[in-house]
Amino acid sequence: MSDISYLKRLFRTYYKEKRSEIPTVSSFGHREFGYIPWDKKIIMKRHMSFKSQDSITKHLGNEGPRHVYSSGALYTQPEIPDMDGKGYQGCDFIVDIDVDHFYTPCKEDHDFWYCKECGKSGLGMVHKCPKCGKSKIKTSAWICEKCLDTAKREIIKLIYDFLVPDFGISISQMRIAFSGHRGYHLKIENDQIRNLPSNERREIADYISGENISLEILGLQEKSGTIYSFSGDTYGWAKKIIRKTYEILKKPNSEIQELLSEKEKFNFNKNYIKSFLNSKQDFIDKIDNNKYFILPSIEGFGMTNWRKFFTGIVHEVGVEIDTPVTIDIHRLIRYPGSLHGKTGFKVQEIFPDELDDFNPLDEVNEKLDPIVFESKVQTTQKLEVLDAQVPATKIKGKTYGPYTKGEIIEVPHHIAIFLLCKEVVKTI
Amino acid sequence: MSIPTELINRYPWLPSLKKHYFEMASRSPSIFISEVFSKDFGSDLKERLLDLFEAAFDNLEEISDYKSDKLNVYVYLLLNIFLYALDNQLITNRLANLYSKITYNELTKENNDANLYNICQDLGLKIRYYEPPINYGVNIVKDHHQKLETNFTIHFIDYLRLASNLRDEYRKLVHNSLLEGYVFIQNKRLIRLIQEYVRNRLLIKETEDKASLKAFLSDVSEIKDFKEIIDKILNAWTERKEEFEYTFKIDFESKEELLTLYPPCVKEILKKTQEGQNLIHNERLFIVWFLLALEYPVEKVVDLFSTMPDFDREKTTYQVNFAKKKKYIPYKCLTLKSLNLCFAANYKDKLCLEGYGSVEPSERKKLAHPLSYTRIKQYRASKEEYYKNKEVDEVNE
Ligand code: SF4
Ligand SMILES: [Zn+2]
Ligand SMILES: [Zn+2]
Repeated sequence: MSDISYLKRLFRTYYKEKRSEIPTVSSFGHREFGYIPWDKKIIMKRHMSFKSQDSITKHLGNEGPRHVYSSGALYTQPEIPDMDGKGYQGCDFIVDIDVDHFYTPCKEDHDFWYCKECGKSGLGMVHKCPKCGKSKIKTSAWICEKCLDTAKREIIKLIYDFLVPDFGISISQMRIAFSGHRGYHLKIENDQIRNLPSNERREIADYISGENISLEILGLQEKSGTIYSFSGDTYGWAKKIIRKTYEILKKPNSEIQELLSEKEKFNFNKNYIKSFLNSKQDFIDKIDNNKYFILPSIEGFGMTNWRKFFTGIVHEVGVEIDTPVTIDIHRLIRYPGSLHGKTGFKVQEIFPDELDDFNPLDEVNEKLDPIVFESKVQTTQKLEVLDAQVPATKIKGKTYGPYTKGEIIEVPHHIAIFLLCKEVVKTI
Repeated sequence: MSIPTELINRYPWLPSLKKHYFEMASRSPSIFISEVFSKDFGSDLKERLLDLFEAAFDNLEEISDYKSDKLNVYVYLLLNIFLYALDNQLITNRLANLYSKITYNELTKENNDANLYNICQDLGLKIRYYEPPINYGVNIVKDHHQKLETNFTIHFIDYLRLASNLRDEYRKLVHNSLLEGYVFIQNKRLIRLIQEYVRNRLLIKETEDKASLKAFLSDVSEIKDFKEIIDKILNAWTERKEEFEYTFKIDFESKEELLTLYPPCVKEILKKTQEGQNLIHNERLFIVWFLLALEYPVEKVVDLFSTMPDFDREKTTYQVNFAKKKKYIPYKCLTLKSLNLCFAANYKDKLCLEGYGSVEPSERKKLAHPLSYTRIKQYRASKEEYYKNKEVDEVNE
């Protein structure tokens, strides 16, 4: 049996056995469903609808698809293939936070890229090939506890720094799920928000992420040689920026230094950081006395550096969301309780109050555990490594790998399934 | 809570109009017209109505002796009927601009929080009123700072609905103070949102149902007063219309294929100018820079703006010439997207949405600039042309 049909069979068994445990989505009959089967060519089957939860789980049990999705949108006739004919009735507000879309330092350890143009390869995150400048980059992204933790912190930030205090959205209207791979989704089910068109969703997305913010409009400006900043006794972004600045100023110098020199964020050179640290106390005093409206004079800090500094702060405050997902009202998102075909992990719904303790790769609460293929009896499988380099994987507290091409390895069942789903090994 | 009738007289676009003037508002238009002009205030009404149209055609933003008495309600209802009868997008836009601007001026002049609150309530806007006003920030005015205060907050959903069309940078949600779902908003800006509401309310799109329009017209054209007014309006319109319409006849309609070379963001702006809709600052800059980059002659670019409610040929010519000298580069897609001026999705444009280059989705290049759009389309068109000619050659051989 090929590995693909092996995985397909496993997925089918999962859906058959867990049939009663798969959660449902609201307004079930008005959602469009889609899935990607285990074919070589990846084509999504869309525009399906189901009468009941029972009929979809039955379908999943028969097909065992690689990926399963349902729409954020509601339609009167979700099964009609033409978008205009579906009878659009509104769409949940969806936020996708996925490590694929933002920088984390540990990517230097576990994410590979390969240039299809010139053959150069390396570790970390690149958008363009550093050698030939082309953007034909193939990436192989790995799962990692640290990355997932970053994503989780972004979701927490989204809820408690933005959605609840600023937008007044109640927690009971939010549904959160671990995506089964490298991120989280958050869905807001609220009748008024459902009616927002795409361009108004972008306004909210910009507010949440800080994208397209103008520091000048918020108050940063130079007038006759004096540089003015924001007002902290206000609401909204100006306040957030000042609060974050203060929080950073209160950190030990070594930490500030590290942060300000980070390439992907502030990217200041040594001299600027030094003069910044020299004026640190002055800045703190100004904020304490509510006198920061005129920025402290720091050697070498004109508008350019201040703008750079506060842009970095905006980056720290904003949530790393994947904006196109939020503004696309016809997007399909992973179905809760379904399996992610690139990992074999379950798309796990979690309540906001469970988020803090939730650890997808080593979850103690069995009900919330996305790793569904861990068998009670320790069975192992023999595999041959196909990829040049397979990074180390830490699951359930144990580390497997790194491996190199040609290696024959023996790993527990659930690790084998993960590696097979990742298509970096084959069974022997 | 019921709204005072006096407010309805002044602001007849309020939804409560139907409650206060139920009989008047629910009468069939033709009966309404024939009755209303036979009353003793009939000629006064005619005059006010024609004044409105004249002022709109003259690009005025105000009417000098605007009265907000009970007749104002009739004027508003008649205005709606005549706009429907005229069925002309350019005229409708003109009137909607003027009428909403008058509303703005009236509301600003009276400067009455209680009325403003009642109006918002009647419009179904979720707002909150604070007394004393709350302080929500600071503004710099000439080297010293000024506290920002307001009595009003508006729910973000209502805010977005009304403000997202205005697209000024400072109106973006991210630049506003937001607390528990409500946006702090100063009276002046709140009134500006109401102006937008009024404008939208008058903007009935050109009627699709031409048959019932025809039936309606044959019905009312029997009424002498109606015919007289319509004729006067149309006369006034033809006098000025050339200035609005001729440019498109020459440039865009006759060379329709040109339009296929333009990306959705450009088409959308051209469509707006054709309909005489106002353009916001960024739209004006972009379209000027874009057309200049394609080496469009200055007069043609200027003509484009001749439909704008605030058109001034001399000023526009100066500005376009200036832009030409400076050789500004039009906004790139990313910028247009952030300004909400990208219309790729609305137009379902393949090139914009899916990129170009290889057929393999992962290897396609993303479109980064509207000028590239035109270049790619031109390239494709020339290639097609080439192959067509080649085929002809081969057949001839
Ligand atoms: S993708 Fe670029 S060219 Fe296309 S509509 Fe949007 S902004 Fe214009
Ligand atoms: Zn390369
Ligand atoms: Zn990581």
